[in-house]
Amino acid sequence: MLRTPIWATASLLAVAISLAGCGEDKTPTNQTAAPQSTTESVPAEQTQKPDEKAAKAVVSHYADLALAVFSDAHSTAVQLQQAIDALLANPSDETLQAARQAWLAARIPYMQTEVFRFGNPVVDEWEGQLNAWPLDEGLIDYVEGDYQHALGNPGANANIIANTELQIGEDKIDTRELTAELLTSLNELAGSEANVATGYHAIEFLLWGQDLNGTGPGAGERPHTDYVVGEGCTGDNCERRRTYLKVATDLLVSDLQEMVEQWQPGAENYRASLEAESGENGLRKMLFGMGSLSLGELAGERMKVALEANSTEDEHDCFSDNTHNSHFFNARGIRNVYLGEYKRVDGSTLTGPSLASLVQGVSPEVDSTLKTDLETTEAKLQVLVESANNGEAFDQLIAADNAEGQEKVRNAIAALVKQTASIEQAAAALGISDLNPDTADHEF
Amino acid sequence: MIRSYSLRIASGGLLTALLLSACTPADPRAETSKALTDGVLLPTYSQWAEADRRLAASAIAYCADNQTTEEAREAFVHAQTAWAGLQPLLIGPMGEGNLAWQVQFWPDKKNLVARQVTALLNTKPELTQADLDGASVVVQGLSAYEYILFDKSIDLGDAAAKQRYCPLLTAIGEHQQQLAAGVLQQWQDKDGVADQLRRFPNERYAEPSEAIAELLRVQVTALDGLKKKLGAPLGRQTKGHPQPYQAEGWRSDTTLANITSAIKGAESLWLGANEDGLRRLLSAEQADLAKRIDAAYAELLQQLAGMNQPFAELLGNDAGRGELDALYKRIDSLHRLHQLELARALGVQIGFNAHDGD
Repeated sequence: MLRTPIWATASLLAVAISLAGCGEDKTPTNQTAAPQSTTESVPAEQTQKPDEKAAKAVVSHYADLALAVFSDAHSTAVQLQQAIDALLANPSDETLQAARQAWLAARIPYMQTEVFRFGNPVVDEWEGQLNAWPLDEGLIDYVEGDYQHALGNPGANANIIANTELQIGEDKIDTRELTAELLTSLNELAGSEANVATGYHAIEFLLWGQDLNGTGPGAGERPHTDYVVGEGCTGDNCERRRTYLKVATDLLVSDLQEMVEQWQPGAENYRASLEAESGENGLRKMLFGMGSLSLGELAGERMKVALEANSTEDEHDCFSDNTHNSHFFNARGIRNVYLGEYKRVDGSTLTGPSLASLVQGVSPEVDSTLKTDLETTEAKLQVLVESANNGEAFDQLIAADNAEGQEKVRNAIAALVKQTASIEQAAAALGISDLNPDTADHEF
Repeated sequence: MIRSYSLRIASGGLLTALLLSACTPADPRAETSKALTDGVLLPTYSQWAEADRRLAASAIAYCADNQTTEEAREAFVHAQTAWAGLQPLLIGPMGEGNLAWQVQFWPDKKNLVARQVTALLNTKPELTQADLDGASVVVQGLSAYEYILFDKSIDLGDAAAKQRYCPLLTAIGEHQQQLAAGVLQQWQDKDGVADQLRRFPNERYAEPSEAIAELLRVQVTALDGLKKKLGAPLGRQTKGHPQPYQAEGWRSDTTLANITSAIKGAESLWLGANEDGLRRLLSAEQADLAKRIDAAYAELLQQLAGMNQPFAELLGNDAGRGELDALYKRIDSLHRLHQLELARALGVQIGFNAHDGD
């Protein structure tokens, strides 16, 4: 694919003819290779800023999408909360399995919220408490086997569940009462990002336990007896583990509730400030969220690091081996924002004014390329999902000696990279040149 | 541009006009791209390949007891800083696939280098070149080389330890040498990367403005990356708690030398070897911006030249952290000058880069 616009073909031809006369260069005969640059070359006549009203309608629908997807994340977290209450009321294999299923279901909408993270500070500044990773799980509970933690992390083996007082460097922390405030304050303890005391991955660890299988098959295998009161308790400190799980889950639900409120219409909240900004800036945030998640975060941090370093430590949902689904629904979120569509957990579909329609209006070609790219990405990520369903999960695909598995991951990364270039094209087509919506202080 | 030039001299005959339009480097962007290729890019890639050739030779000599640990470390530092200087010039093959990661894996938040080096040598005590070439990027590059030569847990004065690590040291040296030589070859080949930056149109660039845009983009990406490299140990993402082990090159204390080298690399793209870099593309009306960018480079390099304490020491006291914070601010404003103002002045859209996300 050569990203040369049609208008350039004429001058290319002219130069090709004249080059033939110079006697030193061969006329380029093959114009099909892709330039690696992701630099835009959308011609001026194809670049047109959409009118403010149309842009605002798209931004407003974007806020509707955010409201719907955060609401679904909240309602599925409430179901998780109920399943965990049932587990704690009667710890058994069945109730533990049901809680795990509820966690997996809750991840589906949550992963689709992440496209709203980059570009919207209200989400970005909030999300660490819910989805920070990778974590040094020894902060939370017992660990065994080949546990590797961040170098110099004083909290890496703190084991909050086993200890009523933590000694971190010269500081003593009272951990007798496991409250939401305490756990929140222990996030990024001593400045280490790997100290994650709350959120989906803390809960995931408490439900599954460490995955000690490395790049072999199998996820974490925490027994339900880790939650048994009194006799039969395994892993010690079951009472404190029960409290920890309950507190972390309740906090997750209330955090999600807070974010739902930020996107309600007609309130004094983040949504109101977003809708008060220019339509152009709103579109910029949408595109920035799509591109940042697509390239730097999903293709880079979440896939390429794990792949190239053959590192299961850098796998996203490493305890549950749900990484394939997390990746799939991250990408689905990007697609949702572009198409202005979201399939809710109740099966209904939300649609409305979309970026796609704006881009189509100025450059049908750019629009159709991006749509194709989004579909390709979904298909390549579907390969990872099917692989996991057939018994070969993401952590097996990235094994150093699994060339075929690595190729599947590499293909998905390539699709995300290509799609990002098309997102840039779409931005250029809409006349949005500076893709960083907040150049003041915030680092992305 | 080419077409309008052709029209002006059309009276001289259509054929001549067409010939001239292609043979005369009338486009300043084409001239700049060519000048940077010959004056900056090719020489810097050659120096890097040479540094890796010396690294490979040093590993062999050291492991045959013909070089001291000091000399081996010196060869590493040379290769490491040559690599750092190449960061703003990662256009072409080095920006693709996983080649850059094979040279250096950073950040290494969970100390994968220690874990993977140990695991590799436990499973393959008689490590071959092929074993390394098929292994994780973490053990193939400078980060693992640095770990072996500088980590306090490894005593190379002990003959048994040296014997254990030497096969890996020599294999990394060879891997790096081959990688760099291969990349340099791709630059020098006929119709290779250098040619693609010299003559337009070609498979990679339909016109010189695309080449200039990509040069600016890789430069901006590198400046953005420097902010991460300095910001991570400074604790800018971690509530202000310094994280000394998150610094690039903390084991060898090359952190600041790497930054200096990268800034010089970026400056070479800006200035060119003979005042023929990106700066030349600014018009007389944009002279103010040119002066501000000149000043930003000069102040930054001046501050770096005055910072002689080890990085970890600076990080460990208030005065030092103040200096590092000031350095960060200077890099930040240099980055902004490029990403926002220079990009706008040159009509380049800066898209997404790998540092987006967290």
